[in-house]
Amino acid sequence: MIRLEHVVKRLGDRVVLDGIDLEVRTGETLAIVGPSGTGKSVTLKHMVRLLTPDEGRVCVGEDIVSEATGRELERIRERFGVLFQGGALLEWLTVGENVALPLREKTKMGNDEIVRKATEKLRLVGLEQEWEKYPSEISGGMRKRVGLARAIVRDPEIILYDEPTSGLDPVSSRTIDKLIDNLRHELGVTSVVVTHDLHSALSIGTRIAMLYGGKILELATPELFVQSRVEEVMQFLDSQFITRRGDWEKNIQ
Amino acid sequence: MGRPAIITREPRYFPPPKDWIGLLGRRALATVREAGRALMLLFEAVSCMQFMFVRRSRREIIHQMFIGGIKSLGVITVVATFTGMILALQTGIEMRRFGQEVYIGAAVMVSMLREMGPFMTGLILAASVGSAIAAQMGTMVVSEEIAALELMSINPVRFLVMPRLVAMVVMTPVLSFYSCIMGVVGGGVVGMTQLGVPWSAYIDNATRFAENKDLFVGMFKAFLFGILIVITACHQGFATSQGAVGVGNATRRTVILSFLAILIAGYFVTRLFYV
Repeated sequence: MIRLEHVVKRLGDRVVLDGIDLEVRTGETLAIVGPSGTGKSVTLKHMVRLLTPDEGRVCVGEDIVSEATGRELERIRERFGVLFQGGALLEWLTVGENVALPLREKTKMGNDEIVRKATEKLRLVGLEQEWEKYPSEISGGMRKRVGLARAIVRDPEIILYDEPTSGLDPVSSRTIDKLIDNLRHELGVTSVVVTHDLHSALSIGTRIAMLYGGKILELATPELFVQSRVEEVMQFLDSQFITRRGDWEKNIQ
Repeated sequence: MGRPAIITREPRYFPPPKDWIGLLGRRALATVREAGRALMLLFEAVSCMQFMFVRRSRREIIHQMFIGGIKSLGVITVVATFTGMILALQTGIEMRRFGQEVYIGAAVMVSMLREMGPFMTGLILAASVGSAIAAQMGTMVVSEEIAALELMSINPVRFLVMPRLVAMVVMTPVLSFYSCIMGVVGGGVVGMTQLGVPWSAYIDNATRFAENKDLFVGMFKAFLFGILIVITACHQGFATSQGAVGVGNATRRTVILSFLAILIAGYFVTRLFYV
């Protein structure tokens, strides 16, 4: 569904992505992991052309997103829902208005239908009671859940998650993980999750990609990922106290 | 409508310049490039005005009119009244030496209509509304709200810039006219209490020497200042990088550039209509 073909990206003197090839398959949840500053978010931003590769190209289905502009780019982006790190909610709109915003601005739906659909998505993330609150009145975890409700309100084919659990307590993190997992099972969406939380990645990912030094060092199912013999992967697993399957399997259950 | 502008900017990196000529050249190119971007932002905001009567846009425009106009009324009242009072006092003291203090009404009215009304209004709005717009846009860039809007295919120019532009091009002339009235009233009070000029003589002179042209040129200046303030603020806000420091820099640059733009544009409009 999404293909990065030999993508190179330099930021100043630093080569952030060094010719990476990566394919995200339809219906899967690909978790991209790695230490901070290895280009995980940069990879994600290439998928929606918030960044353009210096070399190589990014395709979404038949569309070449890295070359798209104007209306074509707008059309491609409508296939995506994106959950940003901080939620990226508009502070002067209520929670409900934030979720309803894409419907109000980009569809011809009537008010009743918009409210019904936005409420339905808020219910999916367990926040239907918070419609009238402003983003400043809710917690960080709730902001992310509202951001998620907004990301899925137009039923996108693909959802991108940028550090969905960063800065959250373990309970909130697992709530977000469950939501991401449920979305894949219930709606069948394709997801890409960028995270440095390996517990989260192993729990929700159908495949895990380890990014290090601008290259994909490992790309495998969670079961095979924890058995990887790549030194950097082993170090990364060790740093989060994951040495065998049981260390992470309990998280989502 | 044409192709929507992409507001979210990719970071750009250049090697350090080799010498001061290179540095100057780079600065010049950056200035031209940013001026071009600001101009494109204006064109796109104008092209988005076809949506200004849509209910949501209408509501936002009225909200921005309230923020930019009504909330600035207090400070504009004080500044304009004292500007008129100072003008009356300074000119009145000199004219009294020739026994002509009765003409201060004309001096205050013409100065306020032609220059001081729109100029003071422009400066106040640049400092209050312009800086607030730049800070808001900058914070939205830093917290990825602008990127989120673009990824939802919501054009930030239509959603954020156009309502502010419409609100300011309406409210700046209105506030400018209001500041002229307050300035003339302030001048009249000083004339009566400090210079012994009767109110009726003050008003008679004020209305006799002022022409319709003075009013229209003043209103045109205010209209122009409204555009300059909003486009400068939005452009600087959208160009924000480097977090909270970047927001502060964008706000500071907005106030400086708006002040300069108001001064320079004010001079050229005066030259265009009066020389």
